[in-house]
Amino acid sequence: MSHDNPQHRSAMSSPSPMSSLETFTCVRCGLTVAAYAPDGSRRNHCPSCLHSQHLVDHVEGGRSDCEGRMAPISIAVLRTGDWMLVHRCTRCDELTSNPVRGDDNQLILMRMAVRPLAQPPFPLEAFGDL
Amino acid sequence: MTRRKPRRGSGRRPQRAKDVLHGPAGTRGDAFRCVGCRLDVPLAAPGTAHRNHCPSCLVSLHVDGRVPGDRAAGCRGRMVPLSLSVRQDGEWMLIHDCLACGRLSANRIAGDDNALALVRLALRPLADTGIPARAMLAL
Repeated sequence: MSHDNPQHRSAMSSPSPMSSLETFTCVRCGLTVAAYAPDGSRRNHCPSCLHSQHLVDHVEGGRSDCEGRMAPISIAVLRTGDWMLVHRCTRCDELTSNPVRGDDNQLILMRMAVRPLAQPPFPLEAFGDL
Repeated sequence: MTRRKPRRGSGRRPQRAKDVLHGPAGTRGDAFRCVGCRLDVPLAAPGTAHRNHCPSCLVSLHVDGRVPGDRAAGCRGRMVPLSLSVRQDGEWMLIHDCLACGRLSANRIAGDDNALALVRLALRPLADTGIPARAMLAL
């Protein structure tokens, strides 16, 4: 079983019986994570701390040589109502978005979703009168 | 909530100096026209020196590459506001998503940005009762 092959998270192939045993190690919390979520989809971030690793170059495509740690910064909502997790690379500041998996840490997700409302840049009382 | 220590030693790096061309033929210009609502937007904005989106509909245009202000992208697609992120110091950042190529970019909100549009964006994850309700029950 290989734990540190970085190709695991960039490949987008359908799971075969053998690849369901694939794992990767989270770059932040060190958790050994199965590369496939329980619903059979490939994951690219740690379900515990939601951090990811910068392995795909989204500007020019292909593999990125940055390999920096990517921290979750916000929640985006698709038209379908599904949540996407926006990551920012702590080394080169590139942004990526990835779908939220069913077993992701709900506490961190909810904390990020309500974070803007905790510190609004303008008073929110006026919106009650609208 | 505990504050994490700033990751770059003595805080954030200073902003890069940018000389951004907003005019029609590569001229300096003092205004741009929004691709979303056709509003004429002056470049002078309260609270920021790097306005890149319309204060009324929050739509931006994909012209920059990796570095803000470099005008290196040939895409020129419409960038719609996707989500809001909060920096360590409490500043709201607007995440834009290019409709043409899917590129994401972040920009600080300006002082005259449409507050209703911003709050609607901030409430979007909580508007749908499915996932948040399930998350709260799981805690």
